[in-house]
Amino acid sequence: MPVNLEKRGRRAKRMTSTETTAAEIVCLVDDDPTVLKSIGRLLASDGFSFLAFNDPKSFLAHVTSQSVPLVVLDIWMEQMNGLEVQEQLRALSPSTRVIIITGRVDHAATQAALDAGAIAFFIKPFDGEEFLAAVRTALSSSHSK
Amino acid sequence: MKSPAKTEESFYAGQTRILEMVASDAPLPEILKSSVLLMEKQAEGLVCSILVLSADGIHVQHGAAPSLPEAYVKAVNGAPIGPRNGSCGTAMFLRKPIVVTDVLTDPLWTDYRDLAKICGLRACWSTPILSAQNEVLGSFAMYRQERRGPNAEELSLTQVATHITGIAIGRQRIQQTLHEREARINLAAESADLAFWVIYPSRNAAWMNDKGRAIYGFDANLPLNGNLILSRVHPDERAAVRENFDRACASHGTFESEHRLVLPYGKTRWVIVRGRCLVDEHGNLVELIGVTIDVSAQKQSELQLKNQREQLAHLNRVALMGEMTASIAHELNQPLTAIANNAAAARRFLERGNIDPVLLQQLLQDMIADSQRAGEVIRGIRAMVRKDKSPRSILNLNAIIADTLRLVGSDVVLRESVITTEMDHSLPQVEAVPVQIQQVLINLIMNALDAVEKLPPSERRIVVRTRTDEDGLAEVSVRDFGYGLPKNRPEKVFDHFFSTKQAGMGMGLTIVRSIIETHGGTISAENAPDRGARFFFRLPAARKDQQSQAA
Repeated sequence: MPVNLEKRGRRAKRMTSTETTAAEIVCLVDDDPTVLKSIGRLLASDGFSFLAFNDPKSFLAHVTSQSVPLVVLDIWMEQMNGLEVQEQLRALSPSTRVIIITGRVDHAATQAALDAGAIAFFIKPFDGEEFLAAVRTALSSSHSK
Repeated sequence: MKSPAKTEESFYAGQTRILEMVASDAPLPEILKSSVLLMEKQAEGLVCSILVLSADGIHVQHGAAPSLPEAYVKAVNGAPIGPRNGSCGTAMFLRKPIVVTDVLTDPLWTDYRDLAKICGLRACWSTPILSAQNEVLGSFAMYRQERRGPNAEELSLTQVATHITGIAIGRQRIQQTLHEREARINLAAESADLAFWVIYPSRNAAWMNDKGRAIYGFDANLPLNGNLILSRVHPDERAAVRENFDRACASHGTFESEHRLVLPYGKTRWVIVRGRCLVDEHGNLVELIGVTIDVSAQKQSELQLKNQREQLAHLNRVALMGEMTASIAHELNQPLTAIANNAAAARRFLERGNIDPVLLQQLLQDMIADSQRAGEVIRGIRAMVRKDKSPRSILNLNAIIADTLRLVGSDVVLRESVITTEMDHSLPQVEAVPVQIQQVLINLIMNALDAVEKLPPSERRIVVRTRTDEDGLAEVSVRDFGYGLPKNRPEKVFDHFFSTKQAGMGMGLTIVRSIIETHGGTISAENAPDRGARFFFRLPAARKDQQSQAA
């Protein structure tokens, strides 16, 4: 499916906020640009800075050079399953916290993600406040480490 | 005593009367009896008889002998002809007049001598009755009670008698042959469910065999004509059938039509009608003859088959739905997630009181766009799940393409692409649901736009082309100049469910294919020889009569 395989803006779009440190920047990985943009706005509305990736590979490349306290990771992406990303991430950056977001109710995937150390699991569409609360908790526990 | 002139006059009148009886198809025994009585009246003491040769050509049958004793008539009836079988049997056998002046001594009469004696018969002169083709039809005999041969007057009476009775028996034979032939045709027609008919346009009359009357629902005795027969044709098809019929009449040609009949009590039949014109030696149309075949049973099973196919197509779509449900949920969840997040973000920005109006506008704009995207998904699902009852109409695909290009025009401009068309103006019309075909076209065109998106604007070309293929199908192709399909199996694109990534219709090629297949068509994909992908679908041409209606 040439058409549907064509991805717009496959490379990561970086929408950073200047006054935050790398330790507070949340990474977002989802291959749907509209979802990606909306989560970014949600985080921005609560004062978080973020880096958005619509391609898991560029996120993994980023992790190798930068410290990432928290990643919000989609499971169902065309290029790479979020669980695979989570597995590679564990090897690359074991301290990175993972929040999973998914469009499908899939208990096996939920369990696998939680087993692999995900701290929260959200099924799309999710409650923005609950999501932000989870992000806050993740970052504060990350700070407390 | 009558005067000779008077006698002559009444003799002619008698002959005329008998010929009238022949012409009006009076029963043969009555004609023969009248003939005998007329002859007997012409000469004193003359007794006459007529025997008819059986179809087997060997035995004789009683024709008329009103003045001969019954015993004698009975004895002769069924006797064989032969070289020594009385005057009549011998005359028929030898095909020449036999004059026996004395039945008591003549060797031809050996078998009948005693009977003749009892009946008081002495002389018997018999002449064979011949048809126009010189076949022996019977014999005309004169009997006298005295021993003598025929005089001139009696010979001339014989001539008249054999002539008239020859006409009568000959005509009866022909009619019998015709009846037998008609009976055979009827038998064949009935066993083949065939109606035979003849229409006489100049007389505003028509004939139809019994089976035909049964097929068309006409009473056995109802006088028919062409209009009456045509009135049985289904109203939706009547005009086309009449046109077809009139064209055949005008050109003195043949016609063929498949249509429905509606019978008086509402029953519908499917028939195939074939006919041709017969013209006289001056080239004037005399009659139209033809057959009507009742194909309701075949049609019924065809329709059942079609229903089953539609049912199957529906089931396939339902099964497809099952497979796709998870993906659809995902597809729907993406815009819903974006809407929820954008709304939550907007609320938070507002609560903090520091929202930039431009950002707020963007948030709202995105929410609107994502709602529409979710709506498209749902519409797509509905269209797929619903067993589609949308009415089909006769379409010109070129026109549908033009409409579709207008619809996607803003996308094309926005994406800095160019779509060119190559239309076959003699493309056959198709029978289809317009909205669905438009859906297919939009999908293919949007896919093509996506395929060329990565190219420099000057190379973002798409060609939409129509043509009539070798089998007379209408073919539409959408060709892009992008990177092409997976090399090993281009057709695989149809296996995927729809994309989870594209904005817009995003219903995927699986549904496109299901639409085309529901319309009895096919769709394929291939890599174009130099570069890019080419998707093409073919739809069967609508029936000819429908095409002309829609033209």
